[in-house]
Amino acid sequence: MSETPVWLLEREPGAFPFGCSGKRRRGGAIEKTLDGLAKVVRQAIASEEIAARPGLLQRLDARAKLLGVLALLIAAGLIRHIFVLAGLYALTLVLAAASRIGLRWFVKRVWLFIPLFTGVIVAPAMFSFVTPGEVVLPLGRWFGHEVGLTRQGLTSAGLIVSRVATSISLVVLLTLTTSWPRLLSALRALLVPRLLVLVLGMAYRYLFVLLDVVSEMITARTARTVAGRKGGRGARVVAGFSGGALFGKAHALSEEIHQAMLARGYRGETRSLERASLRIADGVWLAACLSLALLTIGGDRALGL
Amino acid sequence: MSSEPLLIANGLSYSYLERFLALEEVSLEVARGQRLALLGANGCGKSTLLKILAGLIFADRGSYFAFGEEVNAEKLEDEQFSAGFRSRVGFVFQNTDAQVFSPTVREEIAFGPLQLGLEPDEIEARISDVTAMLEIEDLIERAPYQLSAGQKKRVAIASVLTMNPELLLFDEPTAGLDPRSRHWLLELMTELGDAGKTIVFATHELDQLESIADRCLVLSEQHRRLAVGVPAEILADRELLLTANLVHEHTHRHGERLHSHAHERGHHHRYSGEHGFPSAG
Repeated sequence: MSETPVWLLEREPGAFPFGCSGKRRRGGAIEKTLDGLAKVVRQAIASEEIAARPGLLQRLDARAKLLGVLALLIAAGLIRHIFVLAGLYALTLVLAAASRIGLRWFVKRVWLFIPLFTGVIVAPAMFSFVTPGEVVLPLGRWFGHEVGLTRQGLTSAGLIVSRVATSISLVVLLTLTTSWPRLLSALRALLVPRLLVLVLGMAYRYLFVLLDVVSEMITARTARTVAGRKGGRGARVVAGFSGGALFGKAHALSEEIHQAMLARGYRGETRSLERASLRIADGVWLAACLSLALLTIGGDRALGL
Repeated sequence: MSSEPLLIANGLSYSYLERFLALEEVSLEVARGQRLALLGANGCGKSTLLKILAGLIFADRGSYFAFGEEVNAEKLEDEQFSAGFRSRVGFVFQNTDAQVFSPTVREEIAFGPLQLGLEPDEIEARISDVTAMLEIEDLIERAPYQLSAGQKKRVAIASVLTMNPELLLFDEPTAGLDPRSRHWLLELMTELGDAGKTIVFATHELDQLESIADRCLVLSEQHRRLAVGVPAEILADRELLLTANLVHEHTHRHGERLHSHAHERGHHHRYSGEHGFPSAG
């Protein structure tokens, strides 16, 4: 080892005085990112706990559950009356309760997505200049025309929002009550390409490894951040470096994973140990879902536009 | 123990990205049932050599024979050869996160036997036996991210043992393990060796070497073979260990007198005497 620099052997007088000044700095983006990462892991653990509960949907075979939910999703996509959709949405709430999922938590989880995914699309459709019709909430006049929210626009927006809410509720029900490996096996059984299922499985697995890496990188950076600095170029540079380092680590990890798979005989074909057979309850569920889907679509058509 | 060589490597050289030398002219022979320790400092090429022995990367120069057949990229393209080779060779990676890639422990342990095309009942029986042996039955439905480093190492080993390979390759098996897990793993390796498995493992730790290895191959920091011999011979050769950076010259003061002796890497000093080889602590 070469010689230790002299300055390293001397006692540092300290660049900053050690003591409180009274000036506080609130947690910034770093703390928020760390909280976000921890939240992802907490949610995954919570989902696995729900999937292990002895509820109605948890008892069903994943393949039957997937097919049933798929049928109801198609129905939700084709229904054109809000109150029929509302009925279907109410059914998801009943299923959630029967599957021992806290209703408040379930509703919150679903409705958290709605404004994000549909708000931007739906908002303009409510106005008279996008969806002409009977103005029920006038907002003023523009170039001689009355501008406001139309009944037709509000109906369309309500239809889209309730369709999205019902669809998301169904998907959340499926994913909450089915463990990830069983869901992947079900996808495979329903002829989803092997490679896609394998990629999905590994993406989920390594999400947690990379979350750990990101969390460690952020913590290491925090440990070496002496004086608080406001965002700006410096922060962007650090974010860029961190992203690059993470990409490099992910690449090295993917190469080693491939080698680990090859070492155990992998030749592009994945096999599963899953041998679950369908039971009467699965058949009943599937028949009920298919009947309900057909009934709601048929009833909706019978009601006309 | 049979004297018939199971592995023969002649003059293996390997460079990463054709620029960074990792191995230079390394030859070795491993007899059936032998336990060979690959010794060397960090970055000397131990992992690279193990990956070549596992048929995961291929030497730029030199040849490698396993079970009487030459192993190269072209031959491993052959379905039957690949299946035959992979079923006989098990590799426990240093990075368990790379090795434990399935969504649950059960699927992880079943991955190898499924690839070998074993019957589901046989696979279930093997999973049950191996998880009982490694005391991980209660982890079977868990996701890998819920496991500690020691538990992940057990799962990684279980995933290889269910394939029942003839040759086991361990890359730094005890790295990052707590003392109890480390002791457990060394005992397991001894037991597997006593059962007739051929074991090649990379390490730079010297304590307990004599109890887990029959022979040692020392790699230099220049990525060349420095020596081959039984553990007692290798451990007694202080100059060799210093050259390979497996021990370092430790200098300290006894009263007015400066005193130097060899000191094992990564271990604390124990004042067992003024001279001679230090005991690891």
